[in-house]
Amino acid sequence: MSTRRTREFFARGAPTRAVSRAGIVWAIVAKDLVTFSRDKLWMVLTPVALVFIVGVFYLMPPRVDETLVVGVHPPAMAAALRLAMGVGDDEVALTVLPFEDEAAMAAAVAGDGPEGEARPMIGVSLPLDLLLRARLGQPATARVYVDASVPPEVRGAMTTAVREVAATAAGAPLPVAWDADEFVVLGTDRAGEQIPLRERMRPMLAFMVLLTESLALAGLVAIEVSQRTATALLATPARTVDVLLAKGIVGTLLAFSQALLVLLVTRAFGPGWGVLLLATLLGAMLMAAIGMLTGAAGKDFLGTLFYGMVFLLVLMVPAIAQIFPGTAALWIRVLPSYGLIEAMTGSSVYGLGFRELSGHLVAAAAWTAAIFGLGWWVLGRKLVRL
Amino acid sequence: MNVSRVLALVRKDLSLGPRSPLLMYAVAMPVIITLLLQGVFGNLFANPPRLGIVDLGSSELTAAALEQGGVRVSLVTDADELQRRVAAHDLDAGLVLTPGFDAALRAGERPPLTFYVAGESLASDRVILAVTTIDLLRGVEGRRALVDVEVVAPGGEGVPLELRLVPFAVLLALFAAGVFVTSFSFTEEREKRTLDALLASPMTMNEVLWAKGLFGGVLAAAMATVTLALNGALVGQAVGLLLALGVGAVMAALFGLLYGVLSPDTKVLFALFKSLNLVVFAPALFYVFTDWPRWIAYLFPTYWLIDPIVEIGQRGATLGDVWWQLAIGAAICAAMVVLVGRLAQRVRAPAAA
Repeated sequence: MSTRRTREFFARGAPTRAVSRAGIVWAIVAKDLVTFSRDKLWMVLTPVALVFIVGVFYLMPPRVDETLVVGVHPPAMAAALRLAMGVGDDEVALTVLPFEDEAAMAAAVAGDGPEGEARPMIGVSLPLDLLLRARLGQPATARVYVDASVPPEVRGAMTTAVREVAATAAGAPLPVAWDADEFVVLGTDRAGEQIPLRERMRPMLAFMVLLTESLALAGLVAIEVSQRTATALLATPARTVDVLLAKGIVGTLLAFSQALLVLLVTRAFGPGWGVLLLATLLGAMLMAAIGMLTGAAGKDFLGTLFYGMVFLLVLMVPAIAQIFPGTAALWIRVLPSYGLIEAMTGSSVYGLGFRELSGHLVAAAAWTAAIFGLGWWVLGRKLVRL
Repeated sequence: MNVSRVLALVRKDLSLGPRSPLLMYAVAMPVIITLLLQGVFGNLFANPPRLGIVDLGSSELTAAALEQGGVRVSLVTDADELQRRVAAHDLDAGLVLTPGFDAALRAGERPPLTFYVAGESLASDRVILAVTTIDLLRGVEGRRALVDVEVVAPGGEGVPLELRLVPFAVLLALFAAGVFVTSFSFTEEREKRTLDALLASPMTMNEVLWAKGLFGGVLAAAMATVTLALNGALVGQAVGLLLALGVGAVMAALFGLLYGVLSPDTKVLFALFKSLNLVVFAPALFYVFTDWPRWIAYLFPTYWLIDPIVEIGQRGATLGDVWWQLAIGAAICAAMVVLVGRLAQRVRAPAAA
């Protein structure tokens, strides 16, 4: 600026045009989005993370394999084995492959069978005279061939099934009255229609995106703090509240848009789409709050990353717990992300609505409000003290 | 090269290290990873069926079930609680044994026995639990069939999953200390311009690289040893294992120096980690998925780092068995020394200027 123009600028004084609070906040939001778009690290990491997460989802098996594939020698014993295990021909629990030759069955179990043929995980070789011996009460020897990957419970069950074949052949009735009425299925019966692991992992994947974006916001905040551009911002008509509000909006916007993208690409929206949308928004706000907290606490990129990772590890626990069957432990249920994950899982996996998930949504909203308030307070104090 | 100057820089890193969150991360990593592998991922892939029993009459079946391998048995206080836990899929199935159940069973009265099944339990788990229960009932009844069952594993016995995951843990420990600490330490010196100050002193670039590599390498060897010990894999020939860990630590430190000389700042370094970690950790997958063609793993440099450690530490191999893998690993290290030296020339020029 030339000397003449400088004199004119100061003679005129500062611009007098009134700027609304919303205008100031929007200007800071726009500045932060431009800063984010210029950050090569996040501009590379964000699409890489999105592609990776979606790739992982589609690489995982779309169905649950809940069938025991068992080879039987001689083939005539196949029906006896099914009977002993109490499994009908049309049930998914068991597939029986008959083998004429015991050596061929052993080779197939070991994975050395002919190309293109189904591979049994376990092979049962019963002596031809088993039925006769069982009826006469004479001892017999059977062989169970197992692949190294067969878990002990399946080995045990097949050993038991062999004994049960002999018991049935000997005419021994079941020791208890076990009719169809005695088998009570509690909850929705999903036999043959189990929810695949990738469906259970979907909230976790979306949550990973949210967490990544909390690190991005933390990076933006850390830069503002370390380079003192926040001080420059506060020298303008912008107040601390405006800066904090803008940071909250930027963090929420970045996290929400990308989590939404992942959920859309992985086809997560079903009957419970409203809950899923709300839970994702709450999750994005929670991550924005954590970004504000860690950004204010970290002195540099490494420090921010470290604090962010600590939060990440803790908040990921409920998402990981979703992969396991059953109810999560009490200490997991009190973590801030538990309600969010439950709401996301309930809506995207089980199609539940607001009524069923209201408790989780209220808990998630309360945690979000609390952490957002904490993030607001910590960053606000940091900005004031700069 | 002046050894005392190298050691002086190592001492400086050692005294400032505890202030760095990264060093804490590298030291805590073996414990965290071991806990995750043993407690979480091991159970995730090897999750036996879960049977709940309400025993109202001190049945022998309960004691036999608790001793039964392959099925996780839980004792539940009452039928309502059992039904609630089965419905929530905290259990795959459940039984209620009434008073006098054993006596009725032995008397051939065929007492009724309700078998509660969780709707979300796998069909295969239901069959396994039902068959197991029948076997337990036959045991109490005292009428097991006279069949001797011989179990044969034609492909040999497998390695449990938690042990197959140990290479992952060792690689993580080696890389958290050897790569992260070394590279961040070097890059921070560049970023904060303290490298310029060091090079303005009598210290040479080679001495700086030696110091950083030594610090990271020794830490990596120590952390890998701790990880092996925590996972119960510190067995086998001591000399061979030390040599294998040594080669592994040197390669990890060289990777750290390579990342360090390639990264002008910590952000670029972070991006390098994100993009190259897949290549670095890929060989560990071949220990989890044992049927993958092993020759593909040979293409990754880190395979020659991890395989001798696993062979000696986990499978009881001797130095004579793995010498050629160690030789290839050492050759890769030698090539990396040349590469790091060449790339460091590019760092030296602007810093000196």
